[in-house]
Amino acid sequence: MSTGRDTTAPAAARSTEAQPLSEDVPPRGEERTDPTMSDPAKSPERTLLPTASGAETLAAVRGMLHGQRLLALGAVGVLVAGTGIGLLTAPLLGHIVDLVVEDRGTGSLHLPMVLLVVVALVRGGATALGSSLVARLGETVLAALRERFIERALRLPLERVEEAGSGDLVSRVTGDVSTIAKSVRQALPEFARSTLTILLTLVGLAVLDWRFLLAALLAMPVQWLSVRWYLRRAAPVYAAHRVATGALQHQLLDSMGGVRTVRAFRLNEAHTELVARRSQSAVDLAVRGTRVVTGFFSRLNLAEFIGLSAVLVTGFWLVDRETVSIGTATAAALYFHSLFNPINAALFLIDDAQSAGASLARLVGVSSLAGEPDAEDAPRPVDGTVEVSGLGYSYVSGHPVLEGVDLKVAGGERIALVGASGAGKTTLAKLIAGVHQPSAGTIRLGGTGTGELGPAGIRRAVTLISQEVHVFAGPLAEDLRLARPGATEEELRAALTAVDALDWVGALPEGLDTVVGEGGHRLTVTQAQHLALARLVLADPPIAILDEATADAGSAGARVLEAAALRALEGRTGLLVAHRLPQAATADRVVVLDRGRVVETGTHEQLVAAGGRYAALWTAWSDSRKGGEGSGVVPEQAGAAEPGAAKSGEGRAHSVPAADKSAAGSAASEPEAAKSPSAPAASDPGAAAREPVAAED
Amino acid sequence: MPAGGATGGSVLRGAIRGERRGVIGASFLASTHQVCEALVPVVIGVIIDEAVATGSTGTLLRWLLVLAVLFLVLSSAYRICARITEAAAERAAHALRLELSTRVLDPRGGADADRLPGALTSIATNDARRVGAAAGVLPYGTAALAALALSAVLLLRISVPLGLLVLLGIPPLLWLGHRISRPLERRSETEQDRAAHASGVAADLVAGLRVLKGMGAESAAVARYRGTSQDSLGAALRAARSRAGHEGAVLSLTGVFIALIGLAGAYLAMRGDISVGELVAAVGLAQFLIGPFQLLTYVNAEYAQGRASARRIEEVLASPAAVEPGGATVPEPVAGSIRLSGVSHGALRGLDLDLAPGSLTGVVARDPAVAGALLRCLARESDPEEGSLSLDGVPLTGLDPDALRRLVLVAPHDADLFETSLLDNVRAGTGASPEEIAPALAASAADDVAALLPEGLDTVLAERGRSLSGGQRQRVALARALAADRPVLVLHDPSTAVDTVTESRIAARLREIRRGRTTVLVTTSPALLAVTDRVVVLDGGTVSNEGPHARLVAEDASYRAAVLA
Repeated sequence: MSTGRDTTAPAAARSTEAQPLSEDVPPRGEERTDPTMSDPAKSPERTLLPTASGAETLAAVRGMLHGQRLLALGAVGVLVAGTGIGLLTAPLLGHIVDLVVEDRGTGSLHLPMVLLVVVALVRGGATALGSSLVARLGETVLAALRERFIERALRLPLERVEEAGSGDLVSRVTGDVSTIAKSVRQALPEFARSTLTILLTLVGLAVLDWRFLLAALLAMPVQWLSVRWYLRRAAPVYAAHRVATGALQHQLLDSMGGVRTVRAFRLNEAHTELVARRSQSAVDLAVRGTRVVTGFFSRLNLAEFIGLSAVLVTGFWLVDRETVSIGTATAAALYFHSLFNPINAALFLIDDAQSAGASLARLVGVSSLAGEPDAEDAPRPVDGTVEVSGLGYSYVSGHPVLEGVDLKVAGGERIALVGASGAGKTTLAKLIAGVHQPSAGTIRLGGTGTGELGPAGIRRAVTLISQEVHVFAGPLAEDLRLARPGATEEELRAALTAVDALDWVGALPEGLDTVVGEGGHRLTVTQAQHLALARLVLADPPIAILDEATADAGSAGARVLEAAALRALEGRTGLLVAHRLPQAATADRVVVLDRGRVVETGTHEQLVAAGGRYAALWTAWSDSRKGGEGSGVVPEQAGAAEPGAAKSGEGRAHSVPAADKSAAGSAASEPEAAKSPSAPAASDPGAAAREPVAAED
Repeated sequence: MPAGGATGGSVLRGAIRGERRGVIGASFLASTHQVCEALVPVVIGVIIDEAVATGSTGTLLRWLLVLAVLFLVLSSAYRICARITEAAAERAAHALRLELSTRVLDPRGGADADRLPGALTSIATNDARRVGAAAGVLPYGTAALAALALSAVLLLRISVPLGLLVLLGIPPLLWLGHRISRPLERRSETEQDRAAHASGVAADLVAGLRVLKGMGAESAAVARYRGTSQDSLGAALRAARSRAGHEGAVLSLTGVFIALIGLAGAYLAMRGDISVGELVAAVGLAQFLIGPFQLLTYVNAEYAQGRASARRIEEVLASPAAVEPGGATVPEPVAGSIRLSGVSHGALRGLDLDLAPGSLTGVVARDPAVAGALLRCLARESDPEEGSLSLDGVPLTGLDPDALRRLVLVAPHDADLFETSLLDNVRAGTGASPEEIAPALAASAADDVAALLPEGLDTVLAERGRSLSGGQRQRVALARALAADRPVLVLHDPSTAVDTVTESRIAARLREIRRGRTTVLVTTSPALLAVTDRVVVLDGGTVSNEGPHARLVAEDASYRAAVLA
């Protein structure tokens, strides 16, 4: 049965299949990188991960096939044999026709009859064996390819991944791997069989009489033009359709995921309209895709007619000249008629082959990138000290986020990093954790420079837990074992107990074996962060950095997590990006950052006594605790510590809406002023407690 | 209609009825196409018989012309039919998608209860597409029947015994093929699921790349992936073997069947019952007929799938509304006084609460379930099981939920941002100018967020605002709630991820911008509670204490524990 003519392979089905939507979306609040949104195409300034050239891709495929040469030869051999034997059907039927014409008597039919049955059985057997060998070849190579890709992808420097936008990597691992898998599973066997059938049928035609082959080949120019016509039109339409269905899915997830907000703000009509618009554009593109496909098959119909007529006319002519029998002419016509479907299938699959090739090039491109050196021989830090000197970093050159930061942390010391949003707390955390390379200055962990430690050594020394949580899909125990492979169940339980999470883990339907993450049991944000802390305990690094690890959990969850975090930090150096001041108050030392510089350091008591910026924050905080009269006042003073409010901060103790408006106006109209590091800092009386080098202003 | 009573029949029928003109036209065209396909071997037989065997050039040319016309009709019929059916399928799916969206987003709610957004999205995309496809596939079913009928007539006209052999032989042939393949298919399905597992795990690992890197677990992850990949490989190979076995079996069966037809035809031809051309045609037809039979099986499978999808769609469409609208109106001007009397709902136990017009009230609920239930009732996402709520004396149950939300805005803690510009997010469909929302931006400190973004207010946010940090998201969501400027505003934990400095600033400005209008802060943040007029403490689902924040801090130890821990 024909791929295109009988069942119709609608364009839409083809382009949407590659994009399965999982029944489960990531739990809300769980940070997930999102492939479409960080669509690299949307941000031209991004440096995408490389794509291999055609030659490199071919070389990679050849390399992978090299180990499977025997299998490849076997598969081709069996398929050729099966297809070749199958082609005997038509001449046998032709022979029967001849026997009838010559009226040889019914007895003469027995031999061709038995042969026909044998042919059918052998053909079936050979096809089964051949297909399964082709699948073995394809699947084995596919598995090798995806394993190599993942190994490289996971070892890429994070900075490189972020440079490309994490969506680039995610789309390669989801989109491209499944495109290739689909081709290997569906297109490859059919393509291989069809191509073989076509080739052997053509050989068969030539064997009947070489002029039949010439006649059949008359169809080729039309087919060639049709394929060119099709490929030129199909690829852009399919690509656009994929984008449109992706956008539609996103809109639906956006609207239905945010349904409470949609209702609260009475946005239902606006959002239905958005869905309608995205859906309509997907529909339009699907219909355009159908036009391309149907146009293609119509053109192939023309080729069929040309070839069939030519074969019939040739048969007529050859029979007339008594070069061939009527039976042979019949066989030739039937041969060609049986070519209709394989030709349609093979030509239709060229498109799949093309996109699989493109996907392959994207995978090979990443696979050939240099990964980080392996972890095994990296030097080990001797203790948990952290030494940062003259550290500077800028995401965009000329706009430093950190400048001249010096910080010395003793082993086992617990440091709280405090400061307004944008002060550079997270950047400092990421630099120490080795996520980014400093633009200036040095970092020494456990007495060894980060350059010497290398990425693997840094990560053995430091674990960073950020606001971004991810629960790895699978049994909960396996999630934990990522941090310490081979950990016993006792160790896992101990780690969970250490962060006070064993209770809820025990209450899960299957305890440690409960399947969590995408597609499994959905954990709350608090539970997910609990797991992250348990992984920290298991990984047991000398240094741990918690970056707002408790922020997103809501006020009740945050307290639970804070307590768990303190326990997880026991026995190691801890850097805590604190957004709640009580967290800072319990730290051994508080480091206040402002616009990329360390402006105060000292113990909580020292800083409060010094009456500087931290003291102002603390006053604001404790006033709100006391609920005293002036509670509306102090926050504004505290707000003065923020650059944006610095200018208008004075005299706004009793702020009125009008004053707020003007503040907003100035912030909106002069954004660079708000960000400018050169704006003079608000008075900084905490001199006694200040880090000497940082206090250069 | 009972919720469990959805069969999907009405949705499926509705989809087909909506496209009936296309379906009928396409059925005719598809039948024409099938018939023409069936006639191709017949014409080949005729040409062999009447031209090749006789050597008559005129006959040859005449029949080649017939073949040309046949191909022209066949090709055009296919092309037009496929375009019609595809468009019909897409249109039907589109209509269902909109119906679903409208229902899910309906102010009365109810359709989203117990359904994940991903599941709803899947219903609106995949299931809608399958129902559309079921409508689009009907013409091919009709066509297959037409082709069957025509082939039957032709075969029976050639020879009754041969015709009967073919027609009666094919169903058992297909049945046998099906019997052989069924256990294989079943096994293959589970194996395929396992085979697909590898890509799922890979995506999951890459999605968690930062977390993996954060704990240096790359090697562990690579090792685990290799194991998964090899498992999947094994499963994929077993699945492929099953498929290959099935394929081979079907091929063998078909081949044997064709051999039987050929033999029977040859006997008949030798006895002179049929001509050689008829023999060729009969064999050709037998080969051809497998197509329509397979097509029927395919249509049937599509239809079954479409029916299952239609049932899922119908369940969503038929979900009962969470709240029923009433016809009352709140008299203008709206003062914004809210009264709860004896409200029991979820974790709420006979809650009495009075919110004076223009007051700023803090609500401290240590049990998240209590806060959740209170918010749902205030937003009229649910009506209380007992007791009543009123706005300016008008019971909420008497109001249209949409009209109520014009007056009362309940902003949930996990407020979702949408995939549009920051400005559009904040003005939330109102078309307010940037100047008009400036005060709200300033009060929520979202102006600082905008200042840090590459294109300021015009920066397009990622899905659900994921391109922002948690604190930035909250500030933008708060700005949106403030910009909506409703007479009554209920905020739930609006600043948990906001740093202390900013939170303090927000608290003071919040008080200013909401001056004169009723505001409720459901939170345990002391910075926010400090600016309220009074705080109500909910414990065990009812009010356990109330008073100014300062007094509660001073007098109530459990309050201190809840708020200041």
